[in-house]
Amino acid sequence: MLDALKDIIRKSSIHVCLVNSGGCNGCDIEVVALLSPRYDLEQYGIYVHNNPREADVILVTGAVTEQWKENLRRIYTKAPEPKIVVALGNCPISGDVFNQEGGCVNAPVSDFIPVDAEVSGCPPRPSEILEAILAVAPGAIAAKGRQKE
Amino acid sequence: MSSVIWYMYEFARKSWAEKFAGAKSEHDIVEKPDRFRDFPEVFKEYCIGCGACTAACPAPGAIKLVRDEDTTDMEGLTYPVIVMGACIRCGFCAEVCPTDPKTLTCGENHLIREEFTILPVDKMFVIDDYLCIRCKKCMKSCQVDAIHEEDNKILVDQKKCISCGDCLDACPVKGALKGIYISNIEEQKQIINLIVQTLEKTIEDRQEDLKKLSSDKIFKMEYPLVELKEKAINIIPKEEMVMDLMEKITDRLKMRIITWDEEKCTKCRLCVEECPSGAITYNKETGVTRNPEKCLRCSTCHQTCPFGVAGYYLAKFLIDKNSDGEDVILITLKPSQLPVVD
Repeated sequence: MLDALKDIIRKSSIHVCLVNSGGCNGCDIEVVALLSPRYDLEQYGIYVHNNPREADVILVTGAVTEQWKENLRRIYTKAPEPKIVVALGNCPISGDVFNQEGGCVNAPVSDFIPVDAEVSGCPPRPSEILEAILAVAPGAIAAKGRQKE
Repeated sequence: MSSVIWYMYEFARKSWAEKFAGAKSEHDIVEKPDRFRDFPEVFKEYCIGCGACTAACPAPGAIKLVRDEDTTDMEGLTYPVIVMGACIRCGFCAEVCPTDPKTLTCGENHLIREEFTILPVDKMFVIDDYLCIRCKKCMKSCQVDAIHEEDNKILVDQKKCISCGDCLDACPVKGALKGIYISNIEEQKQIINLIVQTLEKTIEDRQEDLKKLSSDKIFKMEYPLVELKEKAINIIPKEEMVMDLMEKITDRLKMRIITWDEEKCTKCRLCVEECPSGAITYNKETGVTRNPEKCLRCSTCHQTCPFGVAGYYLAKFLIDKNSDGEDVILITLKPSQLPVVD
């Protein structure tokens, strides 16, 4: 009964932690645009915390630099279950323009933490980010929550 | 405490409750703007497999050239595939794609629209490397740094040039820097042909005077410009352009004139064999004749003929005013100093 109630509430209340693992900041700016009145992220029940301990969704941007290899795992372990990871933009998916020969990035992010959803684009449109979070998060969180039992 | 009361009042207001219940996002936030540059579109049948797109792509692995398997009827197509996870939608691939129509199109890329890339100018500035003295005055006068030095040559970067003409004023050598009209190419050709042919005909009409000319004298004549100008304006109805063209043509035009004195001919037919283009023919009735249409003005006949049938003269031209103040083309003719078989 209590878990069922939790599921319902969690579906409409998503806490997001934004992690920039060494990108150009373009995707982060698109996330900021999401917080603006035009897109108004919070009307969907999504709240950007920037605290992994409270996060349901970890939004990863950036192409994973040397320093972020360990920290990314640490952040992932700090987030409470159930948690999902969304790779935002091309950097965490493929390394994008940083993944040149002789470059020092360790993309993709899925080498370090399990990724549930990918949003491609450099940067993706705010509406695409929103679409991805809303399409994946409620279902995934609810499903993972139930699996735990 | 007062703030709590204010909050309670805010929450109790009907309009707030209505807005809260009926909140929805506007549709326009998911719509892409008209000029949004999305992922490139691939039309694989146009691809020539040159690989320009992969070379231009700034993101490694965003474009992969793939080749279909050969079938019994035809060879497999080669075409680019866009990897969404790496493409940054910059549109460079569409910009460099050389096929027509383009294999790759990417939104309304401003570089694909020709009216934006090609400057709307009618003159192209070029430097004649042969005449250029490399004083670099044009380089200093250029306001947009379009003129640069490369490999000890002064070059104009056509992409940067705004056709202001400042370099032309700065250039101390006549003809070393030229503003060439890039429109009406066919008409310009017609005018060039008209002028050259008219001038040659004028000179050849005065063959008799030329024959009397001794080898150390020069022969001067004038040709009025008015008539020629009228004819040229009929082809291109822009006086400024026609005058510019005429000046450029006559400026460094060197014409070779061959005269033919049949009275001196002894029908030895030495020239017939020597003529490289077959312009000189022999016929029993008409004797040795020269066809000016075929003639290359190479002067081989002049050097071959032992009797001086073929005369060879060099003509130079200049547009100027004569003593009456009329615009004329001054023609100066000089007998050639080539060695002749005696």
